[in-house]
Amino acid sequence: MNATSKHRVAVSWVVIWISFHLYSSSAAQTPRGDDIAVVVNQETPVSDLSLAEVRKVLLGERQYWNSKLPVVLLIRAPVARERDVVLRVIYQMTEAQFKQYWVAKIFRAEAASPPKIVYSNDMQYELVSALPGAIGFVDARSVRRELKVLRVDGRLPGDHDYPLR
Amino acid sequence: MFRRLFVIIGFFLAVASARGQGSPPDQAEQQRILLDRIQQLEKRVSELEAKGGVSPAPTPPAPSTPVVQTPESEPAPAAQAPSPGPAHEHEARDEQAAVRQVETHYPSLQVRGFGDVNFSATDQKGVNSGFNLGQLDLHLASPLSRKVSYFGEISFTAQPTGYAVEVERSFIRYDYNDYFKISFGRFHTPIGYWNAAFHHGSWLQTTISRPEMVQFGGTFIPVHFVGFLAEGNIPSGGAGLGYSVGVGNGRGSTISRAGDAGDINDNRAWVANIYARPARLYGLQTGVSVYRDKITLSDGRSFREWISGAHLVWTKESPEFLAEFANVNHREVFTNAVSNSQAFYVQLGYRLPWFEKLVKPYYRFEYTHTPLSENVFGNHDLVGSTLGLRYDITNYASFKGEYRNTKRKTGDPTINGLFLQTDFTF
Repeated sequence: MNATSKHRVAVSWVVIWISFHLYSSSAAQTPRGDDIAVVVNQETPVSDLSLAEVRKVLLGERQYWNSKLPVVLLIRAPVARERDVVLRVIYQMTEAQFKQYWVAKIFRAEAASPPKIVYSNDMQYELVSALPGAIGFVDARSVRRELKVLRVDGRLPGDHDYPLR
Repeated sequence: MFRRLFVIIGFFLAVASARGQGSPPDQAEQQRILLDRIQQLEKRVSELEAKGGVSPAPTPPAPSTPVVQTPESEPAPAAQAPSPGPAHEHEARDEQAAVRQVETHYPSLQVRGFGDVNFSATDQKGVNSGFNLGQLDLHLASPLSRKVSYFGEISFTAQPTGYAVEVERSFIRYDYNDYFKISFGRFHTPIGYWNAAFHHGSWLQTTISRPEMVQFGGTFIPVHFVGFLAEGNIPSGGAGLGYSVGVGNGRGSTISRAGDAGDINDNRAWVANIYARPARLYGLQTGVSVYRDKITLSDGRSFREWISGAHLVWTKESPEFLAEFANVNHREVFTNAVSNSQAFYVQLGYRLPWFEKLVKPYYRFEYTHTPLSENVFGNHDLVGSTLGLRYDITNYASFKGEYRNTKRKTGDPTINGLFLQTDFTF
């Protein structure tokens, strides 16, 4: 192996090592790729919402599915990926802005209570199954059959251009 | 060759550095959040253990839990399901506990406080610089059932001889659905944007002060309203229309106050506000308002009042844009003498992308004109600029600093002032 080849091999190893390092660090910081499904109780009379309608529900501007069925908002506790996606795509807010938004919302008497915090996916499944009107956000890979998955902008998780990912 | 190697390494390091700067992971904040979460989970485990006992054999869940049996909090299907075996019983119990934990119990009183501490220094003659305690404000929200809620707001304002206590808002609201909600009590009048969006907690608003036209204790628009208010969404697809319509007592004989203890005449005031929040322009709100009343002053003179207003706001913070205009028309009933006063403000803020998005500079220009013929609330003329900076120390407290330049009537001196504030919610 001559000097030029040695240099090429060395350069290749450096490139591979740095690429791997960058990939792994970026993956740790912003895990991406899996779709987040919007799930509701089976009795909830919706199956397809536009992203704007989902936003309206989450902003507390739509508080009833119909006059007898109030919306029950469920959101994962901080650090969960589902919460990150909801804040980034739907609310378009930082964690601080999200908290301030709900303090102001309640203070303006536009809502009586903030979204309910859930600490695990299991808890979320139980609540969505048990509470009529509940809406939650779960990793699409682990959606359970007893829940209804909503189409968002006519697309289901896994579809091309599904917005919640 | 080595030069090329250095270039490649330099390139990757630059990319890595840019990535590090582009993502703002506040590790300390995340650690705090995780610790909070661990504490909450530990608390929950303790509660579950206390409720379920420590017997090794799982016992069936108590079906007569008051929370579940409350008529207003309907029992969840899962809570009623029979448990065929120990494992299922355990799961059902966990499920019940989770459901109980997030169920809203009625009444469910939530109290939130707001406070601020201020320092001011101006070159206005006769005004001393110094600290003041601002307002302590308590907000109460209590769902009474799935469709009925109570909201209240009480303020304590420092006065030279003590504290003035005021019931700022107090009303009960019945929700039929998103299109019709009706409230009875004392509100902030839904004229324009600011008066209905920002209440007494300074922390809620970007700036230290409110615009002159919606100043508490001011007279340009009636800040408070006693009566009933119907509000809701209007089916309008992506236009996102909404409305508020109210009937109430209107202004009291003291023009800055609402008729809390009763109307001063047999003429009810009414207010109507319609706004749009287009779905395609998330953050935008625009609307128009009208207010009609008959005012009877303490000297016996009566005036018909028409207020019309419009607003255009962009509620996101990068940028934040608020603009509002109102015209107040007064016609004296006896002489038919008419006056029209105008006021507007334009406020622009921008949450900077640096410093973890904690810093927000802002500027506001405001203008008020009252003609000499105005008899109801005297002269309000004002041209003012406010330049300030807001720094959010935490999610629930901020520091603000403002420079204000204001000029009242022609011939009056221009007043410059420095205002500092820390405000918070707790």
